[in-house]
Amino acid sequence: MNYLTIIIGHIGGTLLLLVRSLKFLPTLPRQFARFMEQCYLIGYTSLPIVTILSFFIGSVLALQSGYSMENFGAKQFIGTLVGLTMARELGPVMVAILIAGRVGSAITAELASMKVYQEIDALTTMNIPPERMLVLPRLAAIVVMMPVLAIIANLCGWYGGALVCQYTHSISVDSEAYFTALKAYMKRSDVTDGLIKAEVFGFVIILVCCYIGLNTRGGPREIGASVTKAVVTSLILILVLDYFVTKALLMS
Amino acid sequence: MNNTSQSIRVGLFFLLGLALAWITFESLNGGRLFKKPGYTLVAGFANLKGLKTGDEVRMAGVKVGAVGITRLAGHRVEAVIDVEPGVQIPTDAVASVEQSSLLGSNYLGVTFGTPGGPLLKDGDEIKTKPTVDMSEVISQLGNLGSKLEQVVGDIGKSMGGGGGENGNIFQRLDKLVTDNGPKLTATISNLEDITAKIKNGDGTFGKLVNDPKLHDELLASVGEIKLAAADARTFMSDTKGIVADVKSGKGALGVLLYDQSTADNLKMSVANVRSVSDKIAKGEGTLGRLLADDGLYKDAQATLKKADRALDGLGEQGPITAVGVVANALF
Amino acid sequence: MSNSTFTASPFLGKTFGVTVANVTKKFGRTTVLKDVSLEVKPGEIFCIMGPSGSGKTVLLKHIAGLEIPTSGEVRIGDFDAADPETRNKVHLALVFQAGALFNSLSVYDNLALYPREHRECNEAGIRERVMHALSILSLEKAANKFPSDLSGGMKKRVAIARALVMEPQLLLYDEPTSELDPVMSATLTEIIATLREQTAVTSIVVTHDRDLAFAIADRVAFVMDGKIRGVGRPADFKNPTDPVIANFLNPVIDLKNPRFKQLENSHE
Repeated sequence: MNYLTIIIGHIGGTLLLLVRSLKFLPTLPRQFARFMEQCYLIGYTSLPIVTILSFFIGSVLALQSGYSMENFGAKQFIGTLVGLTMARELGPVMVAILIAGRVGSAITAELASMKVYQEIDALTTMNIPPERMLVLPRLAAIVVMMPVLAIIANLCGWYGGALVCQYTHSISVDSEAYFTALKAYMKRSDVTDGLIKAEVFGFVIILVCCYIGLNTRGGPREIGASVTKAVVTSLILILVLDYFVTKALLMS
Repeated sequence: MNNTSQSIRVGLFFLLGLALAWITFESLNGGRLFKKPGYTLVAGFANLKGLKTGDEVRMAGVKVGAVGITRLAGHRVEAVIDVEPGVQIPTDAVASVEQSSLLGSNYLGVTFGTPGGPLLKDGDEIKTKPTVDMSEVISQLGNLGSKLEQVVGDIGKSMGGGGGENGNIFQRLDKLVTDNGPKLTATISNLEDITAKIKNGDGTFGKLVNDPKLHDELLASVGEIKLAAADARTFMSDTKGIVADVKSGKGALGVLLYDQSTADNLKMSVANVRSVSDKIAKGEGTLGRLLADDGLYKDAQATLKKADRALDGLGEQGPITAVGVVANALF
Repeated sequence: MSNSTFTASPFLGKTFGVTVANVTKKFGRTTVLKDVSLEVKPGEIFCIMGPSGSGKTVLLKHIAGLEIPTSGEVRIGDFDAADPETRNKVHLALVFQAGALFNSLSVYDNLALYPREHRECNEAGIRERVMHALSILSLEKAANKFPSDLSGGMKKRVAIARALVMEPQLLLYDEPTSELDPVMSATLTEIIATLREQTAVTSIVVTHDRDLAFAIADRVAFVMDGKIRGVGRPADFKNPTDPVIANFLNPVIDLKNPRFKQLENSHE
């Protein structure tokens, strides 16, 4: 079997997993506790790292653009640059990468070990579809949590940039000017586009990580291999999807 | 970690996200997510100059609303303005597209209008004035120069040259002198002295009237306008002084007033001069505007400064020539 | 553990037979099952014996519907085992070799998962059923422990308890006595036999434990190298005629086997 066939097979398998999971959507209300648990694991516990990371990304962005924009005497547009870049691109992508590394890997490891230690088989013989109990609550949780994380990342990045602009001697753009510039050229759709992107990324990451975890075969060694595969696939998908989603959003 | 506290944390986290999203949306685009019920006005322009949806509407620099949609309507463009509630804009307020920086970033400026006048209502159209471009300012200054020349010429004519219905002052004075004989010799020589001075180009006004080179310079560099204005003012006060002297009967010309046969003619001449000076004082005509209109002066100031600098640089090198300018630019 | 504490839960009366018809299974190029046919009658204890790697666990997974045959068919009663819908119609429980307990759930929640997911009764009813199943296997004290805190034997007992909570109509055991000490093996043997006695549930036991099979089985099948080598009552194999089965059941320990000559030499 050549690689193309394998890849197409995986795409099909992932889509089938999605369809089978969505089929159980009506059971979500009675899985509320499980959904809450996943929200907690995916959203709440990711908050500190998302905050810290996006804050420093905003800061570095302001620092770098301050350094380079000084040459054009365009320092007053740092706010615009940081604002737009965080909202449209770096916010969603960095949160997605974090989720892939922090949550996606954990999901794959958990599902892969359940598969390797036959817990998945046990669920199947107990007539409890793994898609219903394991995949659906995670997908629902990421749909709810991803925009929240993304908007927090945006704001942290913006404030990081503002602080750097104000207190870096070579830039010294006060935060009022920074936010005026940020608001002057940003539309609401810039933020919503970013949130849509984050939503797409998060959903795809969780779906792919679930798929790879559930399709692990072999022993404990394969758990590690699956995690690596899941994270690498997620990262590639984030950046490839980023291009296409951005293009679609810009066209609409 | 029991389930309840976990749920509470997730719930708080989600609410935090909602709140942040609300704040973000509220602060972007002037918060049109939950729009307060203000009112809208329509402003028509020939050219919007890049004014776009979401740009601010400012009244004396204070934000009073935002530009809603912009649209083409026949041979003009219309900007629909969302005005914040409670902001009162009189019907005679004028809107214009202003630049907040040289790199773009426009806003719509609205003047105060008459306080206490009738107010604009929802859907009304606000008066507009076309925006002044820098290039337009410069071309208007050119027009101003030529108009100034015309005015100065008119003054010159009424003083010395061709006749109107009433004839010109100096012909009549001449006749007066001939009619009255040697009595007037001293007076005539005084007057001759004045006109000669003007003709010879002594004094600033004389220069202004007689020196065509100066005219050219005036047209080429608007920087001289300031000077000319000051000189014109001096001239006017001179003229006023002469007129006052005549009125009060001082000197030889004053004596003439007691001669009945010439009194009427002279009166008319004085009236002519006065009407010119009045006009200038009232600010009518271009010269008058130049003296009276502070705003126009300010508009021109930036351009004038540049022109001044150019004059300073070139003045010492001789006549302003294209070669000179090019040479200055090169070295 | 004594039999006095042992009472079966109110199982559904119905049980199923299993028919394995000409099943062949290939994993890539290796053929694990070669044209296997079996008939398990309703209510009997059927032991599948064979050496490690002979394909007996794969055969069990086919019966549980976890593997789909490359060719042939497995039927549970009138239903195709490979069809996911079958699990809605047959209560089928599989006791995995390593227990396959849910590591993230406590023992109690492991047992409660099935009735909760299928909403068979309220929380009080679930508690009654779970505690009953735990008491059968004297696991009451372990209810709030997590699988990672349990020994191998405990995990197996919990796995059986979890199967009991499902009130199965077909019980499959995969190596129930492996890794257990002889006393625990004997206990499990008793449990399997008693369960069948009280509920008449069809039980299929995959094992290479001769004592277990001969103690409880109504019939025994020998799987060798992916094929059925022989099927019959335990008594039929007391003195097996087939030398391969004989060697499997009564391996001769020959310390002078020429195979080990080299080993001996290397030690000298």
